[in-house]
Amino acid sequence: MVSGANQITEGGIDARRLGQEESGDSSPARLASLGEGDTVRVRLQRFDPTRDEAPYTESYEVPYSKLMRVLDVLNYIAEDLEEDLAYRWYCGVKKCGACAVRVNGREVLSCWEAAEPDMVIEPLRHAPVIRDTVVDRAPHEERIKRMSPWLERAEPYPGFPERLSHRDMGGVVHALNCLSCMCCTSACPVLDLGADTDFAGPAPLVQFAQQALDPRDAMDRGRIALDEGSVFDCVSCYRCEEACPVGIPVVSAIIEPLKAMAYRSMPARAGHVGAFLDVIEGRGRIDPSALVLKTQGWGVLLRSPGRTLRLLVRGKIDPLKTFFGDAAKGIAEVRRLFDGTRDWKP
Amino acid sequence: MKFAYYPGCSAQSTCKELNVSTRLVADRLGLELVELESAACTGSREVRAANRDLFLALNARIMAQAEELGLPLMTICNTCTLNFFDAKKMLADDPEACARVNEMLGETGLAYKGNVEVSHFLWVLLEEIGAERLRELVVRPLRGLKVGAFYGCHMVRPPAHFGFVESRNVRSIETLNEILGCDSVDYSGRVECCGFHTAAGNEKIAVKLTGRHVRSARDGGAQALVTPCPLCHTVLDTFQAEMERDLEARLDMPILHLPQLVGLALGLSPRDLGMDNHMVAVDLPVGAPVV
Amino acid sequence: MKTMAEEVVIVGGGGAGTYAALRLKELGYDPLVVCKGLIGKSGCSIFAGNLVLSGHMLGTTDAQSEATMEYFTKWWNNFLIDQDYLVKGGSWIEETFYPELDEAGLYFRRDDQGDIVASVGSVRNIAANQQGQSGMLLMDRRRKQFAEKNIRSLEETSVTALLTGSGGEVIGVVALHYPTGERYAITAKAVVLATGHSDRLSTRSTGTREQSADGIALAARAYAEMCNLEIQWWHASDFAYPKTWDRMHVYPNPLVGSTESARMYNADGELFFEQKTDAPVGLAPYATQFKRVGEQVAKGKARLDGGYTTSYAHIPPEVVKEYNYHAKAFEKVGLDVGSDHVESAVSWHCRQGGVHCDPHTMETSVAGLYVAGGIGGHSNGGIGVVSFDGNIVAETIAAKDVSAWAQPELPADQAEAEDGRLAGLLRPVPEGGVTPMRIKNKLRQLMWDKMGFEKTEPGMSEALEVVRSLRQQAEAGMGLKNTTPNFNYGWVDAIDAFNMIDVCELTILSALNRKESRGPFYRTDYPYTDNENWHARNILIPTPDGGVEFRVEPYATPYLEPEFERRDYFDVPW
Ligand SMILES: Cc1cc2nc3c(=O)[nH]c(=O)nc-3n(C[C@H](O)[C@H](O)[C@H](O)COP(=O)(O)OP(=O)(O)OC[C@H]3O[C@@H](n4cnc5c(N)ncnc54)[C@H](O)[C@@H]3O)c2cc1C
Ligand code: SF4
Ligand code: SF4
Ligand code: FES
Repeated sequence: MVSGANQITEGGIDARRLGQEESGDSSPARLASLGEGDTVRVRLQRFDPTRDEAPYTESYEVPYSKLMRVLDVLNYIAEDLEEDLAYRWYCGVKKCGACAVRVNGREVLSCWEAAEPDMVIEPLRHAPVIRDTVVDRAPHEERIKRMSPWLERAEPYPGFPERLSHRDMGGVVHALNCLSCMCCTSACPVLDLGADTDFAGPAPLVQFAQQALDPRDAMDRGRIALDEGSVFDCVSCYRCEEACPVGIPVVSAIIEPLKAMAYRSMPARAGHVGAFLDVIEGRGRIDPSALVLKTQGWGVLLRSPGRTLRLLVRGKIDPLKTFFGDAAKGIAEVRRLFDGTRDWKP
Repeated sequence: MKFAYYPGCSAQSTCKELNVSTRLVADRLGLELVELESAACTGSREVRAANRDLFLALNARIMAQAEELGLPLMTICNTCTLNFFDAKKMLADDPEACARVNEMLGETGLAYKGNVEVSHFLWVLLEEIGAERLRELVVRPLRGLKVGAFYGCHMVRPPAHFGFVESRNVRSIETLNEILGCDSVDYSGRVECCGFHTAAGNEKIAVKLTGRHVRSARDGGAQALVTPCPLCHTVLDTFQAEMERDLEARLDMPILHLPQLVGLALGLSPRDLGMDNHMVAVDLPVGAPVV
Repeated sequence: MKTMAEEVVIVGGGGAGTYAALRLKELGYDPLVVCKGLIGKSGCSIFAGNLVLSGHMLGTTDAQSEATMEYFTKWWNNFLIDQDYLVKGGSWIEETFYPELDEAGLYFRRDDQGDIVASVGSVRNIAANQQGQSGMLLMDRRRKQFAEKNIRSLEETSVTALLTGSGGEVIGVVALHYPTGERYAITAKAVVLATGHSDRLSTRSTGTREQSADGIALAARAYAEMCNLEIQWWHASDFAYPKTWDRMHVYPNPLVGSTESARMYNADGELFFEQKTDAPVGLAPYATQFKRVGEQVAKGKARLDGGYTTSYAHIPPEVVKEYNYHAKAFEKVGLDVGSDHVESAVSWHCRQGGVHCDPHTMETSVAGLYVAGGIGGHSNGGIGVVSFDGNIVAETIAAKDVSAWAQPELPADQAEAEDGRLAGLLRPVPEGGVTPMRIKNKLRQLMWDKMGFEKTEPGMSEALEVVRSLRQQAEAGMGLKNTTPNFNYGWVDAIDAFNMIDVCELTILSALNRKESRGPFYRTDYPYTDNENWHARNILIPTPDGGVEFRVEPYATPYLEPEFERRDYFDVPW
């Protein structure tokens, strides 16, 4: 059972953040959770697929050192306790992206994130485990390669320095911050679905966006985002943004522009987007039945007639309104907004 | 207390019972809701991705309507809430886009200034009505009822708006549950995605993503899930049969809109709250109101 | 053991190795890069935060151009440099390096008007997006250029030995792919060592995890000559905590987007160093800074491992946040970059010396063996300079037309012996034995204690003894807690430990032979800079009997003369 925090006091609560304080959900609280003389208790997932039947857990106690990071804890286990731990890191300072693990279910860069008093440390998800916390990066890298991660110019390179402003770079600058650490990919729920999706996952898409969103690039990136990225399988859950250790707005600055490019490049393959726009332009508001019919065709009603009937009975769909209902009030104004923005480009 | 009320599309089509129950509960609480009748869609996810300027214009228009009334704007949908938040931020950060949008709005005599307050009904309950007043108004404490919160995504993430390092630490619905007298069930889906936003094109993702969470709630003893978002409701309720087929297991999990749960505690009848309109029958062991 | 036959093997995937590979590909070769880490994610190239402008780029004036030359010769290399090489490198960086990267899409930070943002001062630098981020983005580009141009590589594969022919020439390598334990014997007509110069040979050090001076050890075992191994650079303003941030630099250089540079304060809060005023030409004034910290230590107002601070508090925080990648590090440990000081410490940084080479060809004293980048004993690196090395080595190899040469025969006995050695290291800890990590830790502590700022004769001699006893210990009883071949980093540690032992020993010997103090190199028994005798290469020659010999070779001064013959160490500003 989750306790219903009884913390509402008179005057000015911020309901949006309820739960934050009691769970120490902030950087200062996390920094303050350990101090000199404390012990960090670690439960580490160990697994050698060439030798072990299944993953198992080992516990370690590590003395706290000043401003300790998760990597300092792992280093202590490997270097001072001389344990045979498999873990990966190169730079130690948030530059290589190789050290990501999950701590208490949350993806972190181990060299960047503060240690916590009690930590369950596990490997990233959605990547095969090589040993302990080390995962195989090859599938991730392969996916990036498939998306042609280099510039292709429409015009020959004009010579150094090329005319380009910081403004022109826009969202690319966000993508450039990406360390390819795969935290976001580990957090992405769509990748839980395995063979049911061919979604690239957020990490390769952010890498891809470094070129796709670059104003100097002329490749048909919209097509690649669909063919190699299945970008419309992203459900917009923002798990990736929450996980990203460098704070990249993965959804708003990367995935949505890629979806826009995909839609522009191949509108037929992004049928629901076009249908959505048409419905709103026509009626001002979205009627899900109209949307589904436009996207999937009439056949959808017949595919599961039982369900269609149930939806009708419960008032979930209303064919009369869908086909003969009036547009929302103010539709003329809404259409004017459509007209006024038709020239927008990603 | 008075709000400009934006019910959004779902509550006026697939989830009419959400609009109905919100109004009933607001009435009981003495909240005056002035509906923005000519407001259009906020663009869900699709418009944001397809045409940023159109997205900004649609949202600015609604927010400008609220500003014109001089009222804070109340939403009852996660995605609409986030859209307003995002549009507000983008318009503040990009004065040129804001000017373009205002030029279009100007033709119909509207102006977006950017000072509108946007709040979701859940937050309004906790912030404006407050725990104390709510407790006083509870006439049918939902004692013994085990409810799982299904927050969805767009009112707990991204962190840039809601401030959580880990969204799973959110407790607003559990706080409300406690006020209403019911128990909160912990399970895997509290702050997980329902998959609605791919459902029009490919409902498989939504069914797969969400089914396992409903099962987890069931395993955890939940008798109902409550959600602040009609889009989550649509997936959880109307696709539940598909989830059952996919999981080869019975779920039978009633899905309540947030105001329905509140309404029950305030003594309103399930029928009035529109619970008959759900795909999954709602038959909860709640007693009669005690006065 | 897998065998492969290659024309050119490049060992190391940093700035030097990757550029050598790209250039060779352009010249019609199909090189194989073997990298101990991940290409573009290992090696100190990812740390190269500043990109120094050269020649007359982006409006650089004649005076600034001259200052740049002075900076590289005097402040950066303490005159231990072939000045002709520098001049050529400067033009190459201007004409090839920046344009090539710009064309490949590397984003040099622009302003909203479209101009590249440079620091202000006598020597200027720019950044790829942010200061501190340049090397990461540059190396990420290289990684993707490898994908685009289909350059073959073996990653997380450590070269453990060089193969030699009957005349002592290098004809290939043996390598271990540690994620699987697979071993490779690879013959090659040319082997390029590009393993860098920032090695973790001391408790606090700037190198990436895998850097343990392997290249020096491999070359020394092939009897390649070494040059200036003792000139060890230090960072003097890195974060003192947390431990893993020992290479998190609070840049003392001019900040991009500002006219200011960081300030350093001693334990009493007294300002004791600021690049802008103390070393205006010294763009990256690390030796000077190190000297100043050393003075504070002597006064008891700082420790090498902390007790003094660095700060950007006098600079508008928006500017620091906008242009400096490390501003976030302050935030992450609860400091405000706009008002707080961060406790600082020194870290063992880049070795200026290395494998002795002809900097105009990158040939070493051993046939078939080439170097590129920080491993070379010819200059204190820098991402532009090491890329230039990659260019030179590629052109040298192409000019020799190695394609036309016969493929060397695999020396099966050597390959087997190395395979046996590697297999032997994958053994359990014997009775009373130690793990390689124990040896590594002791070596690092030893170098920190005895080879830090102040070097004394007795201290160095003692260190030599300890290194030798650690070697015995390692040979007699080193083993692993786990003998899985599957991502067994302990196994890598075991290989590293022997490399580190060798290199620490050679470094100390080399230090004992240089009888002066210069730049970051300070001996209490020779507390002066001696240009008369020691403006010279200190060349160490490993001999087959396990000993070493020395040769001292003066540098030519076609452009810039040191301004004195002999002067008290602390009176020399650089
Ligand atoms: C903290 C720091 C800050 C710096 N700041 C700047 C700066 O601001 N500007 C600037 O221009 N320069 C800077 N430098 C210097 C610059 O980064 C280096 O001079 C340059 O990057 C060296 O490049 P390299 O290719 O020679 O070596 P590295 O980049 O170190 O690459 C060495 C490669 O060799 C591999 N390797 C090592 N051993 C083996 C083995 N046994 N088998 C196979 N592969 C092996 C490693 O994995 C790595 O990939 C900085 C260096 C550091 C450490
Ligand atoms: S928003 Fe999209 S990409 Fe990000 S975690 Fe969710 S589904 Fe994955
Ligand atoms: S987007 Fe963020 S989380 Fe994802 S790979 Fe890049 S840096 Fe890591
Ligand atoms: S070790 Fe490189 S990012 Fe953490």
